[in-house]
Amino acid sequence: MTFDEQNAQGDSNTCSTIINSFVSADVDLILANATAALQAAQAGTDTIPVLGTSITDYATALELDSFDGTVGGNISGTSDLAPLAEQAAMLAELFPDAETVGLLYCSAEANSQYQVDNVQAELESLGYTCTQYSFSDSNDIAAVAQSAADASDVIYVPTDNTAAANTEIIDNICRPAGVPVIAGEEGICEGCGVATLSISYYDIGYISGEMAAQILTGEADISTMPIEYAPNVTKEYNAEICEDLGITVPDDYVAIATEE
Amino acid sequence: MNIASLINALPGAAAQGLIWGIMAIGVYITFRVLDIADLTVDGSLCTGGAVCIMMMQAGYNVWIAMLVATLAGMLTGLATGLFHTFMGIPAILSGILTQLGLYSINLKIMGKSNQAINVDKYDLLVSLRYIKGVAFYKNTILIVAVIIVILIAILYWFFGTELGCSLRATGCNGHMARAQGINTSFNRVLGLMISNGLVALSGALRGQDPGFADINMGRGAIVIGLAAVIIGEAIFGKIFHNFALTLLSVAFGSIIYYLVLQVVIWLGIDTDLLKLLSALVVAVFLAIPYWQGKYFSKPVKKGGSH
Repeated sequence: MTFDEQNAQGDSNTCSTIINSFVSADVDLILANATAALQAAQAGTDTIPVLGTSITDYATALELDSFDGTVGGNISGTSDLAPLAEQAAMLAELFPDAETVGLLYCSAEANSQYQVDNVQAELESLGYTCTQYSFSDSNDIAAVAQSAADASDVIYVPTDNTAAANTEIIDNICRPAGVPVIAGEEGICEGCGVATLSISYYDIGYISGEMAAQILTGEADISTMPIEYAPNVTKEYNAEICEDLGITVPDDYVAIATEE
Repeated sequence: MNIASLINALPGAAAQGLIWGIMAIGVYITFRVLDIADLTVDGSLCTGGAVCIMMMQAGYNVWIAMLVATLAGMLTGLATGLFHTFMGIPAILSGILTQLGLYSINLKIMGKSNQAINVDKYDLLVSLRYIKGVAFYKNTILIVAVIIVILIAILYWFFGTELGCSLRATGCNGHMARAQGINTSFNRVLGLMISNGLVALSGALRGQDPGFADINMGRGAIVIGLAAVIIGEAIFGKIFHNFALTLLSVAFGSIIYYLVLQVVIWLGIDTDLLKLLSALVVAVFLAIPYWQGKYFSKPVKKGGSH
């Protein structure tokens, strides 16, 4: 088996060029990582099997009217949807006395918007007041994070690529302000969060690989394969930041192994 | 890596190039005709895609959606034009300001950063899928080529009218044009509007092609546009002198750019380096006419007749 790995470097236009070369080389299977790649793959072919991965919500990404867990046609894959209801419950478990929650995310990322909207609904049903704080790119994170920290008791950061790349900034603002951050995934939590309920990207990658094997060997028909989700979630905490903020977490939380 | 897969990929690359070609013609109007480097493009391309996708999702016909997208693009050009003429801000900075502001506007048009349009559900004019195995009248390459020919015909007619001529005069020599009683401010605004209308139309097609509009879809568009203009001029400049043919050469330049890109990907060059390669290609093609003038021109005789 040969692999042809192409990286669009976050440029949605390059996705089209890459998909064009895959389709014309008549590959046996396309693995599309993230939303723009999957959308271009879907527009590019209705015959070659396409597996998506790191897609938060297939119904939004592909503009499906009805979605019952199976996309159908030539598309299936794995989702990195974090357990949002459980994350909201976790926030309530750790900070029962907080009143206002700031939701900090990048406005250029559709997946973040989806998570923030859903977490907000969950938190509001638990009695919290939520405000969304969106930044457009890494240049205005500091200013937006500052206003979020000033006005919130707790901050929630979803699985957001821009936030993940700039956890230093968020940490440098939120920790001195004494505002704890609940993160959508492990990487962000390691950089600036107090705790997270995280999925493992290794797990969904592994499942995607198994799905691909079943399709390529003819064991399964992609049109009937449902979207798979991460099997296990772990409650994790950042020992250093928790200690600084004087937060004690329950015993069932696992400390994130730091690199030092 | 086999040559058959490269040849198979070429029609798709040509389709991409043609769609960008419409934008490149828009860039030509500001960059060459008006002599303004207009950076609005990176934002107005996305505006066109966003408006088109949202209108189609709301159930409007594809042609109406594209028309409204073009008009929205003209408004972005109007904004840049007013920054430049009415508020006296340098042209390049006006474009940057509009582009910056358009990020928020595009986000509000779409409601979020990415809106998809499913090719199976809508009657799209162009799609990555309509390259092979479709009836010839649905083929993306043919449709975009026809649109380009019609656009060039309209532009050729317009730039031959009195208004069009005065617009060209404004770009050639603004002071002289003003001395002739031409309203140069009005002409600059008009040129920016036409240009960004074309860019947004290109964005509307670009949104349909891969089936989504994305807040980042215009990023770096100006470089692709300039590359197309410059490659087209460098290759066809000696043969094509007529204005309509010059516009055509810009569209060809865009196709060549995308064919080269496809070859680069086929060669297996690290795609992380694509942006750097694009920048270098544009720099080299920009330098060639300068070097030709400087090092390879015949020396001018000194003195001469009085």
